[in-house]
Amino acid sequence: MSHKFKKILLLDDEGFILQVISKALAKHGFECIMANSVVQAIDILQHETPDIILSDFQMPIIDGFEFRKIILRDKRWRAIPFVFFTSVSDPEHMQQGLDMQVVDYIHKDTPIPMVVSKINNIINTIRRQHEKSIQEIRIAAEALNLRSVPAETPQIDGFQLKYLYQSFEDYPGGDFIDFIQVDKKHTFIILGDVMGKKWGAWFFSFNFLSYIRSAIRLCVFDGNFSTASIIQKINRVIVLDTVLGDVLSTLSLLMIEHETGIVHYTGAGDLPLIWYKTSEKTCLPVVSSGLLLGAMPEGQYDEKIIQLESGDQLIIVSDGMIDFETDGGKKSDFDLFLKKMKIVVGHDDSFDLIKNVTFSPETSKGFIDDSSLIFIEKN
Amino acid sequence: MIETVQKSGYLLVKIKIKEANLDVSETFKNEMFELINQGNPKLMVSFDEVAYVDSSFLGALVSVLKYAMSKQGDVSVVDLNKDINNLFSLIRMNKVFKVYNSEPDVFA
Repeated sequence: MSHKFKKILLLDDEGFILQVISKALAKHGFECIMANSVVQAIDILQHETPDIILSDFQMPIIDGFEFRKIILRDKRWRAIPFVFFTSVSDPEHMQQGLDMQVVDYIHKDTPIPMVVSKINNIINTIRRQHEKSIQEIRIAAEALNLRSVPAETPQIDGFQLKYLYQSFEDYPGGDFIDFIQVDKKHTFIILGDVMGKKWGAWFFSFNFLSYIRSAIRLCVFDGNFSTASIIQKINRVIVLDTVLGDVLSTLSLLMIEHETGIVHYTGAGDLPLIWYKTSEKTCLPVVSSGLLLGAMPEGQYDEKIIQLESGDQLIIVSDGMIDFETDGGKKSDFDLFLKKMKIVVGHDDSFDLIKNVTFSPETSKGFIDDSSLIFIEKN
Repeated sequence: MIETVQKSGYLLVKIKIKEANLDVSETFKNEMFELINQGNPKLMVSFDEVAYVDSSFLGALVSVLKYAMSKQGDVSVVDLNKDINNLFSLIRMNKVFKVYNSEPDVFA
């Protein structure tokens, strides 16, 4: 079964029933969160979002009806599929329950394997519907040419440019990537991450990308190629923008001078760039000083000048790349990521090696956010 | 998901969850805005119980800071674990927020 849609909130005032159902569902790969009262269930819902709620009907103090009403009143919870699991078989009560937009009504006398099958069927139907909706939105976005990552990278003499992108659980996310070759001598590279996940971040990523593309073009028209100056202008606009007022984004902005091999780099709340210097065989982080786009009117942006020699490599990443799932829970660890990179840089096939250690089907499963990486090598 | 303790000149806000992520960021922001609206523009957020923070939650925290500043207030952070502290330094959140190792007597 897919790792999506597996979390069930079980609500029953009888501990024995909770244990039996929970054990049976766990055998089928479901994760059950148990509550023995409506108060406890509401408490759980404050910080957990189950994929389905299975609730008893008759309970002391607050019953299943009242619980359903509370759920329907709250926009955070009303879309969660709700099933009554009860020993009440009076048709009038059942009708009343079904009228409250519940997905199903399962009698407690139903044999356990059948309860599990019913839950499985409901979850599978919801999952298929969900996947269909996502597919439809994806097709619409494609038709409108709304892309937050480019279809291909530009070919620049003397350089290799490549990127990797993996969305989180196949949802579009807040990461955005672009390459803008403004003339024969200069190419800008953009990697950003709108804070948030899934659709909200994805939607705003277009707004950010539009601002950034426009700012780069307008500045270049005026002869301004400074990455720090461009980011500062973008930041001032974003801080003033009422629509984006509450949305924040990281940005790594690089500008490659094709002829000299010089790379200008300015960051806004981004992770350090990783620079492999072939002459010294060293792999060092380059830390920028700028703040997140939209955080403060003065973003304190600096511009690092990196002189690339033949064989030098640069790696820039979004924060999803440094998140790891460990036995103790999730953690962000840039040093661990840097260690992994040190092993694979400096080879003829570094990009493929990077892909293997970071984006292999096995490691991609561990991603807990959308993840992006851009690789630059001077030939 | 939060607990508050009135301190001298500021309100200490303890986050009572292990993973501060997208699922809780909106609720956190709303509850913090509510505290500011109730006349507590100076807030210190304790991450003592938090093991992991994602970018959505950090975004919510910055939104709270901007709102507090618009009410002549401030938001600082305290009790960051090693990983979160490193993340704050790496992405310069330590320049956006005052970061304390332990709760100060007075909000600076």
